[in-house]
Amino acid sequence: MYTLLKKELGLYFNTPLGYVVTVLFAIFANFLFVRDIFLRGDSSMRTFFEFAPWLILVFAPAISMRIFAEEKRVNTLEVLLGLPVSETMIVLAKLLALFIFSAISFALTISIPITLALIGRPAVSEIIVSYAGILFMSLACISLSIFFSSLTKNQIVAFLSSVILLFFLLLLGSDFLAPVLPRILREYMVLLSPLIHLETFLKGIIDFRSLIYFLSFTALFTVLTVINLEKRD
Amino acid sequence: MIVLRNVTKVFGRKKALHSVSFATREGEVIGFLGPNGAGKTTTMRMIIGYLKPTSGKVTVFGKDPISERLQVLPHIGYLPENNPLYTEMKAREYLQFIAGVKNHHDEEYLHEMYRKTGIDDVLETKIEELSRGYKQRVGLAASFIGDPRVLILDEPTSGLDPIEQEKIRNLITSQKTKKTIILSTHILSEVEEVADRLIIIHKGSIVYDGAKPAQKGETEVLFRKLVS
Repeated sequence: MYTLLKKELGLYFNTPLGYVVTVLFAIFANFLFVRDIFLRGDSSMRTFFEFAPWLILVFAPAISMRIFAEEKRVNTLEVLLGLPVSETMIVLAKLLALFIFSAISFALTISIPITLALIGRPAVSEIIVSYAGILFMSLACISLSIFFSSLTKNQIVAFLSSVILLFFLLLLGSDFLAPVLPRILREYMVLLSPLIHLETFLKGIIDFRSLIYFLSFTALFTVLTVINLEKRD
Repeated sequence: MIVLRNVTKVFGRKKALHSVSFATREGEVIGFLGPNGAGKTTTMRMIIGYLKPTSGKVTVFGKDPISERLQVLPHIGYLPENNPLYTEMKAREYLQFIAGVKNHHDEEYLHEMYRKTGIDDVLETKIEELSRGYKQRVGLAASFIGDPRVLILDEPTSGLDPIEQEKIRNLITSQKTKKTIILSTHILSEVEEVADRLIIIHKGSIVYDGAKPAQKGETEVLFRKLVS
């Protein structure tokens, strides 16, 4: 597992691409927050965390799109599957590597709470729990994007498929789509949205139902990816 | 050792292999010949468990290479067609990755293999910057890691100049005494030099399975007769 993880992380951090993506993400995330910090007049990170899911909507598929699609395109998947390692280990190593990569990217937004601490009195525990929620959501979105990457040789197809499905899931929990759903469906459909489950974390509450949602979501797409790799057609 | 029984593989509407059967013995070198699209790569991919047969059975050391791959694959060294490599890695990183996954941590063996395959002076070079010949040697070195009992080599000298081809051939020959080798190639002289046994496949079916002809040049005559 360690060897696989090291290889996956190396493919991101041994090339300038990994650093460029991480730094661009951090600059963009920081800019979104700094833009209106003095207009709001409070020391909360809520604006940042409320926008974060839409950032993850693009970021998770962007960093995950090549993870299997490229291996299929250049045929290194044949090398990987010709080695004595299980498909589950391969998928878990990729998932963990991308999660670490995304956690590092979010860690670069640490300047935001530090700035807030200097100019005000932010609710530290709420910020920590919100970051945890964002990381759980990233993990879930990465697992979905890895699954789509495993279905195709084309990175763009993998990216677009992931973005479209994630966008739909986010919309289910937003004010745009939820009100137009039939009432009988609405109650259940909104529960499928990561937005609804992230909301409890953003309030500083660790709700185990939401935690289980993110972990089940991740497990579901991880299992689907493993099944897809095991097909051998 | 490796047994294929009535193996058929269908991709969509195309039958790539039709009831292929053969068995290998320990220590023999099999020249696996066939024109483009004959089914050589498909056969090799099924032996390492990368593809599932549509019907029939493949076993390696009596085990299924897909469901029991963790028991089978440590004993197989595989060089896929076109030698796909992680080109962003340095040669040493790549080989250490393969060694790590194969759980082979004998540094002395690795150093000896770097020397034998002639890559010790390019270990710190990124694979994408290596010449085709060196890339091929890195791919071969990767297949040798762990001292596997079986080597499956799909077109190992394809696209190389005659001097490089000879070097690669010598490397394969150096492994000959102790391993079962299945060598797929277009180069008939290569088979005459290295193989003990010939399997010729044409349009997904085996058309010859037997000893290598005794006289030089006869392999080409036999091949042309069977696949024309």
